[in-house]
Amino acid sequence: MNSGVAMLELSNVSAAYGRGMALHGITLSVGRGEVVCLIGRNGVGKTSTMRSIVQETIRVTEGDVTFDGQSLLGLLPHQVIRRGVGYVPEDRRVFASLTVAENLRVPPAGHVGVRWDIDAIYQLFPQLKEYRHRQAGVMSGGEQQMLSIARSLLVNPQLLLLDEPHEGLAPKVAEEVIAALLVLKREGISMLISEQSLRTIRGCADRVYVIDRGMTVFSGTPDQFDSDPEITRRYLMATQE
Amino acid sequence: MTAHHRHESIIWLGAAVAAAVVLFAFGPGIALLGTEIMIMALFACSLNLIMSYGGMVSFGHAAYFGLGAYGFALAIVRFDVPPALALACGPILALLAALLFGSLCVRLSHIYFAMLTLACAEITYAILFQAYDFTGGDTGLTRFVAPRFGLTPQLYGLVVLVVLLLSLLILRRLVASPLGLAIRSVGEDPYRTAALGYNPRRVQLAAFVVAGGFAGLAGMLFSVFHGNAFPDYAGLAFTLDALVMVVIGGLHSFVGPIYGAIIYLLMKTFISRYVGEWELVVGIVLMAVVLGAPRGLAGLAARLGIPSGGRKS
Repeated sequence: MNSGVAMLELSNVSAAYGRGMALHGITLSVGRGEVVCLIGRNGVGKTSTMRSIVQETIRVTEGDVTFDGQSLLGLLPHQVIRRGVGYVPEDRRVFASLTVAENLRVPPAGHVGVRWDIDAIYQLFPQLKEYRHRQAGVMSGGEQQMLSIARSLLVNPQLLLLDEPHEGLAPKVAEEVIAALLVLKREGISMLISEQSLRTIRGCADRVYVIDRGMTVFSGTPDQFDSDPEITRRYLMATQE
Repeated sequence: MTAHHRHESIIWLGAAVAAAVVLFAFGPGIALLGTEIMIMALFACSLNLIMSYGGMVSFGHAAYFGLGAYGFALAIVRFDVPPALALACGPILALLAALLFGSLCVRLSHIYFAMLTLACAEITYAILFQAYDFTGGDTGLTRFVAPRFGLTPQLYGLVVLVVLLLSLLILRRLVASPLGLAIRSVGEDPYRTAALGYNPRRVQLAAFVVAGGFAGLAGMLFSVFHGNAFPDYAGLAFTLDALVMVVIGGLHSFVGPIYGAIIYLLMKTFISRYVGEWELVVGIVLMAVVLGAPRGLAGLAARLGIPSGGRKS
């Protein structure tokens, strides 16, 4: 399913916060137009993996992270973003005191003719248009997630990183998020999505990686993942050891 | 939203007319007090830009106020610049200093940022205080222009009022502009702003430099007002005055610092006539505000239905 050359490639990445090692060998790739799911339990390094891509707070000590064939190491977060990476962090973090419309005006205005402008965003997420004068901090979790995704789209990314986009959302709201992600997939946006289980995003994942204790421990298609229940038992069950 | 804007314009216009009436109706004493309030309001508003919008608490904002005064004074005394031109030298010197110190300070955040701003201001103060041959040291610079260029208190007050209104207009536009949104975003969450393609430090520096420039403008007005320049203008006391005005007036409000400047200087002027320890009263008021009305007078006003120009606007 890997369509062509990898757009994002992490090769044997180790990374640390200060002296505390968080990743011990993450290898993964995302091809052009591909949706890749990164699953693992709480605290195994999903967020750290995302951060090692956007170079936020974590320091890559070994291995390399490349985007479009060029290393991202040593760049500042905003420089990674400007190369075409959108990042929707774990806890959403909308700018609570700004209105919805103001949140959407924060990303630097794109060039004329770009795919994602405010109108396109309002078409994808009609609720955001409806609530555009509302303060972002008072919206529901699902609406804030939509806003967070929308905001990242405005930088017109080729690759979107979504860190646990369904965390804490009601099932019905989670479905709306999935629907939006499917639209983005059809648009050809590559995505790397982290989740605690494959269940939620089964419908749009092309490939799956499982990570455990900062290492990639499985790589394959969703079907291959399903055919090996041992993987789920060993790496994804909540209670173990 | 136009109705809202019109409503707001009317309030601004009304406040400006009221200020002008106060300047001219109650004699020179009140005109002088009013002018000082307006200058300090401008200074506090410049601090408010980085505090309420940029999320940066500075303990050294007076450095730029002081340099605004000295830029003006030194241009005349040491470089024989014509006074009209020297007026621009104050804010420009403050702006350049803010650029220099700011690029150092924005590397850190929270209390470390505050300590760096304090260090920069102490260095500024020390230089102004020590360099006798150039700055006049602790005796300052005096008698280089007539106070207020010889204008009557009322007329100079009017000039300051106009400068204040224009500055507020520019600041108001700024906070609603794309840069202003970026400043507010960084104030809330620098990481998120970086994730949208901004360099948060660059945004913070821009806010810091603008704030420094307006502080310098206020310092220059203050120097013209008294016809002098003293190292104290860059000292910690002035920084604390502005901090207290911002907090009493109301954090996260555009006009809060103006309320703060009015209340603070009225207390300072009138209470000190009756009570020796007027700082005691200020302390109690500050305590009451922080504990009872953390959004300050502007927050109270908003609860009574008076628009406070809050940052959501």
